[in-house]
Amino acid sequence: MEAMARRIQIELIAFFCCLVTTASAQGGSSNILVSYSFDDAQLATGPDTFAVFAKSRGTVRLSGTNKLSGYRSVEIRDVAGDGDFPELQGYFAPRSKGKLFLHFAFMTATPHEEFNIALAGPQWFNLRKDGIGFWLKSREGHLCQISDSMPKKLFLLEPFVWYVLNVTYDIDHGTYDLLAHREGIEKPIVSLERQANGPNQPGSVVDKFSFIGDTGEDKSNVTYYVDDVLVGIDESIVHLPFVAPGRKKLFIDYWSEAQRDRHTQPGPIAAIGLADFGIRQKEMDALKAAGSWELLLQLINGQAVSSGVPRQASAELHQLLYAVALWSEGVKALRDRKAADALKSFDEAFALVPSAKIYAMNAVLSLVALQQWDVVDERLSRIYADWQDDVRFVPAMAAIGLARDRLDEAEQWLQGPAEQVPDELGQSLVRQLRSGPITPGLLQELKLRFPDNWDDYIKDAFVAEQYFLVLLWKNQAAAAERFAQRMADRYEALGIPNSRWYERMGDAAFFSGNFTMALQQYEKGLKGNEQNPGILVKLSDVYFRLGDLEKERVYREKIYGAIESE
Amino acid sequence: MWFPFWISRSCIAFLALLTWSLVLKLDASPAVDLNTVQTMVAAGKIAELKVLGRDVLPVMARLYETAALAERTRIAQTFYALGWKSADAKRVLIKDVHTPNQQLRLEVQWALGRVSNDDEVVTVLLNNMQNDANPLFRDKAACALASDQIHLTEQQKVRLFAGLIQALGDSKPDVRRIAMLALQIQTGQTKGFNPDGPVAERDAKIREWKQWLEEYKSNL
Repeated sequence: MEAMARRIQIELIAFFCCLVTTASAQGGSSNILVSYSFDDAQLATGPDTFAVFAKSRGTVRLSGTNKLSGYRSVEIRDVAGDGDFPELQGYFAPRSKGKLFLHFAFMTATPHEEFNIALAGPQWFNLRKDGIGFWLKSREGHLCQISDSMPKKLFLLEPFVWYVLNVTYDIDHGTYDLLAHREGIEKPIVSLERQANGPNQPGSVVDKFSFIGDTGEDKSNVTYYVDDVLVGIDESIVHLPFVAPGRKKLFIDYWSEAQRDRHTQPGPIAAIGLADFGIRQKEMDALKAAGSWELLLQLINGQAVSSGVPRQASAELHQLLYAVALWSEGVKALRDRKAADALKSFDEAFALVPSAKIYAMNAVLSLVALQQWDVVDERLSRIYADWQDDVRFVPAMAAIGLARDRLDEAEQWLQGPAEQVPDELGQSLVRQLRSGPITPGLLQELKLRFPDNWDDYIKDAFVAEQYFLVLLWKNQAAAAERFAQRMADRYEALGIPNSRWYERMGDAAFFSGNFTMALQQYEKGLKGNEQNPGILVKLSDVYFRLGDLEKERVYREKIYGAIESE
Repeated sequence: MWFPFWISRSCIAFLALLTWSLVLKLDASPAVDLNTVQTMVAAGKIAELKVLGRDVLPVMARLYETAALAERTRIAQTFYALGWKSADAKRVLIKDVHTPNQQLRLEVQWALGRVSNDDEVVTVLLNNMQNDANPLFRDKAACALASDQIHLTEQQKVRLFAGLIQALGDSKPDVRRIAMLALQIQTGQTKGFNPDGPVAERDAKIREWKQWLEEYKSNL
């Protein structure tokens, strides 16, 4: 539950550290004035790029769960009655004539909660000349445009559906053409020409855009996502396709990327959220209040080092920042194949902030690089509960399996013990170990019950999993599926819950592209284990691949929350 | 129906706990007493009043009803600053919407739209804008219509726009000017209406505005 909560919480890294302007922004030779993909890892806040306002309880942050393309979108979440609204506000050089082309995508989780999207000028977000030029708002579940000073309905918003909008904004005439696409529908759902701009004012200058919650009575509890924002003076922008290489990033994508990135030696696992560093809302607020936010971002981006972390008024904040600095140094060391240095840094960081799960995992990966297998399994078992439902865990486990030796040798070495499920599994502890999460409590009990060989049981459990993953890694999905089937059958014969192996069979089927089979296996895996977030995510992904967006939504909402009904 | 003994015991324990927690809650709830509110209003402590929450509104309304003119003015200012909807506030403020006292009148006219979106507020302000004998009150009523009707829905704005468009045809030039200004602040445009232009030209522009209003209504 804690792991699930952690995933649902701030899933992805601080908005600031990754919000990217590929910003050919301002004045480059490109015809793109602004481009926000939210995928890279540069930091470019400022008066010429963008600002984020999240002073009250609302938030603006990256989301890896819901995105149109790439890895991330931006989630804007407003909280009613908190006295303020969250805002992503971007800037570009003022345009007083000619045409401007705007392309962006959005998706709302809460169609009946108000949000506003606008393009404005030096008179800011007021309905007047040089103020708001282009304005969209949601109203009673519909998306509306404010044209000629009046709201006009465009279409009924569906929750968790991406819409892509292309706008050709004619500054001289004070009009715009609007094209809106909905995911899953080839033809545009809205195609309007020569719409009067907000205040019906020709020659109205524009130099900024904004995404916010509600503007008036602070009643909105909206959560919506924005992706692929492009502003430019090149018409090709409005001809951008409805790019949805993955409307969401499937669990399999993490695997494929890890496969591409990993070599013989495991590298550090990537941080995807501030929670990885033990930094949650409370700590974020404290860091901002202490004026240390910028430093945190620099540390995450590797632009500052531990010796540059000043003594803070709060020892807790100092520890947080110092640990991030150590992590950053450890990441660099591990990439440079200095695993001993990396291990030292990660261990020190973990000692400072034990709630930061990324430090311990990267310490394990450093130990793998050092081939200290006796410690690897013991350490891995300690953090298993924190990581087992994390999408980064499966490729990490595969990489660990591979690193035990060369690939073929690893398979030979693994094949024996992996299939040797003991005939006598009377001990409930061993049953738990094989069928459920490895918790610190279980680990402690194992050590007490089997003081001499407790780590053999741990290794045995890991080896089966790693063997399966090595098969997958070698693209031997059919062999992996057969192995998982044998494991499931054996477990069943021994009376051990085997849902995990059905999940693995589903994984193998998914990798083979047999989504119907994957669906069946995941559903079996879910029996008696209905709240398993790992399987729910995969079911959502399978339905997505099968083109059933409704069921995709049903399973996604089981993890990330239900949408309020009308 | 009989319940097993342990359930009965549990229920009793639960009820006892519930009662106790309610007692504690009641005891712990912040008191919004008249004197505290009066002191805060007098000292202009808006932030502190906001902390007390909307429970201060009926208390302020009671204070207003019994207060002298100067204090009423301060309370009206406070209602304005809080910007919270309140039927009590609207009820007491609207009684002074025709007061000849200049300071109080202005504060009341400004505050009304920030405490209520009742149709009566727009109606009375439109009336003051067009018909009050004092040009200052007319002007400030227009200001209130332009900037302070913060709770109006898009549907409710129809009444406001209709009143302002109707006032464009007023015989008094200053009324035409302030009505146009209020309309411009609300919509961002004038549609070329010149308050001092020839009658025929003004009528043509008013027709344009009326057409615009029809389109506005059709989009609701």
